[in-house]
Amino acid sequence: MNFFTRAIKNVTRRMSKSILLAITFFLIGNLVIIGLGINNASEQAKIETRRKMRAVVSYETDYMAFYDYADALEGEEQQEAYKNYPSVKLEDIKSLMSDERVKTVNVVSTNMLYSNDFETVPLNNERESNGGGTMTYEDGTTVEYIEPDLKFQTNFFPNMIELEDKMYEIVEGRFYNQAEVDEGKMVCLITDKLASHNNLRVGDTITIDLISANDMRYYEQSGVTDEDIHMTLEIIGIYHNNEELDENSDEYKWMSRYDSPDNTILAPALAYGNAFYKIGMKQYEYSKEQYPEDYTDVEVPTPESYTYVNKAVFLLDDPLNVDQFVADHQSDLKEFMKIDANNDTFKKLARPLDTLSLFSNIIVWIVAINAIVIITLVTALTLKTREYEIGVLLSIGVSKMKIVAQFFVELIIVALIGFTLSVVSGSLVAKQVGKMVMDYQVDTESQYGTLDDQNNGTIYWGETNYFTEISQDDLLSEYEVQINPMIIGEIYVLGIGVVFISILIPSFMIMRFNPKKILMNQN
Amino acid sequence: MTTILKLENLNYGYEDGGYKRQILKDLSYEFEQGQFYTILGPSGSGKTTLLSIIAGLDKQESGKIYYEGDDLDKIGLYKYRRNKIGIVFQQYNLISYLTGLENIELAMTETDNAIPKNQKEVAYALLEKFGIVKSKADRLVTKLSGGEQQRVAIARAIASNVDLIFADEPTGNLDTATEQEIIKIFRMLTEEFGKTVIVVTHSNVVSELSDHRVVLNEGQLKDIQ
Repeated sequence: MNFFTRAIKNVTRRMSKSILLAITFFLIGNLVIIGLGINNASEQAKIETRRKMRAVVSYETDYMAFYDYADALEGEEQQEAYKNYPSVKLEDIKSLMSDERVKTVNVVSTNMLYSNDFETVPLNNERESNGGGTMTYEDGTTVEYIEPDLKFQTNFFPNMIELEDKMYEIVEGRFYNQAEVDEGKMVCLITDKLASHNNLRVGDTITIDLISANDMRYYEQSGVTDEDIHMTLEIIGIYHNNEELDENSDEYKWMSRYDSPDNTILAPALAYGNAFYKIGMKQYEYSKEQYPEDYTDVEVPTPESYTYVNKAVFLLDDPLNVDQFVADHQSDLKEFMKIDANNDTFKKLARPLDTLSLFSNIIVWIVAINAIVIITLVTALTLKTREYEIGVLLSIGVSKMKIVAQFFVELIIVALIGFTLSVVSGSLVAKQVGKMVMDYQVDTESQYGTLDDQNNGTIYWGETNYFTEISQDDLLSEYEVQINPMIIGEIYVLGIGVVFISILIPSFMIMRFNPKKILMNQN
Repeated sequence: MTTILKLENLNYGYEDGGYKRQILKDLSYEFEQGQFYTILGPSGSGKTTLLSIIAGLDKQESGKIYYEGDDLDKIGLYKYRRNKIGIVFQQYNLISYLTGLENIELAMTETDNAIPKNQKEVAYALLEKFGIVKSKADRLVTKLSGGEQQRVAIARAIASNVDLIFADEPTGNLDTATEQEIIKIFRMLTEEFGKTVIVVTHSNVVSELSDHRVVLNEGQLKDIQ
């Protein structure tokens, strides 16, 4: 008859006491399940929404912070500050890339350029049928206006986010590699539609104009020739761009050809830098000659000067790693640089969930603390009525630890029964209560704040917004109170914890018991 | 005869109303193996206090107690109670939510002494020996009469295979007929099982049937001829 068997006998043979205690645990269990269920649903909704979002983090200059700083300065100090204008450095990007959570990075520059020996894929929209080839100035002179017709997208790294996302899919040939990026090789990838429209194949070359023939007049004075504005590239790959346009939208009607996904040409960053360098150098020489006083300390341009980097976008391996990635690198950032995971928008949208999560957590803690107090009191009071039994056990040499263990097991058995019953009822109640409090919370939030303000960071003209746009409906649609095995496990762990803490004070009381006093008083 | 329990210069007292009341004064005595002792004395003489000290429920202020030559301090009070002695109380002191049989099994499980593997059968046999048949042995002890409960208590006292049994007014709550039955059991324990029984009692009936009548007076134990 060890302490465990004694505990079972006591629980089963003192049924009324056990039932009362089980009801107490049952009520506690229900409250805990509601709390844990709501908390879990809130957290899960955020996690699931996060999972659906692209795991991207941007790294860019914090212009607001810099201007606030620089504008507060005066005179030479201010000039000095502007001379050391902060910018995104490739070595810093490479340092962040060494984080194993980074899958790839886009350091993309986009230029709208002009096709030369091929024709871009037409949109056949209203803008094209209207022609729109002339522009009239205020003085009445009319000039021919040639619009750029292709998007020249360059990157400093070969594995673009769009490739990882399957937005771009190589159908023939290959993507440029890191060596070609570093060397600024004049290679490119064109879309399958552009290729078939012009009967182009891998290995062919295409020529792109950096400046329109119409704009040449501004460059001729510096000696720039027609040859200088041509950029000839070898096609090393043909890809399919899965981005689709809605041909029925108003936006489509007035879209330029360079906005068409079919007219996007991909190339290494320095390809553009190398090509534009010839024009840039001639302009530099000319300007230096014309205005020598302004060029005393101006750096001589290099091909890199024309590959300005203003932002890096990192694609991580898991959307759930985004917050941690930002937290890990925040403190290492250089001055006036920022790392952004579009958290402000997400946090704003998740506010009702956070409030619910907070309150449900508080409920769980309050219930747990109350449970400890109640069970401690019940056990301590029960000890008085079981003093005689304890005395008897001590008199036959049962150790105090075994007596404490028996009381612990008794409570655990009753707690397990109470909690098990509460799992059944609690899961039904938690769903209803969870829905009710969420509806109430959303109503309250919508009364006091605008929830759908989207802030996807600073997006520059021609740039791709890599942050996934989400609405509060997307987020709340993931909210569903479900009592899963994890919560059930948590309830049992919490229950055992409550019983364990509750038995501590009675245990000290048992340790002070003297068998002689108990039994002699009894006799 | 061999000495099973030796008391040597025991002293014990307590504060009562501002002055110290000495219960045991340099008390020395030796209890022999296989004998039935009754300890008598007027109320308040300290019989129960003496019993609680020699039964390992309390500690003397000074002096030594030896069980089969071993110092009780070395054996340890828990081990002593668990493995060396059994105690029977006036109020029976059984665990109320257990049956008679389970009360016996409790003592058998707790002891470190060798207990036969067929514990249940041995417990039934022991109870039957003391007049508790199987059907009664399986009842909760609260459903048994006072005499039956006391028999269970005695059976529990020897169930852990000990040689020394203490009893504090074991027949105090029983009628004369039952008292006789219990005395017979004590006699049986000494004669058949070779146990030593030390009973604190007011009852002349009990003391007259014991081997040794000892009186506690002014803190000393003295044999009555």
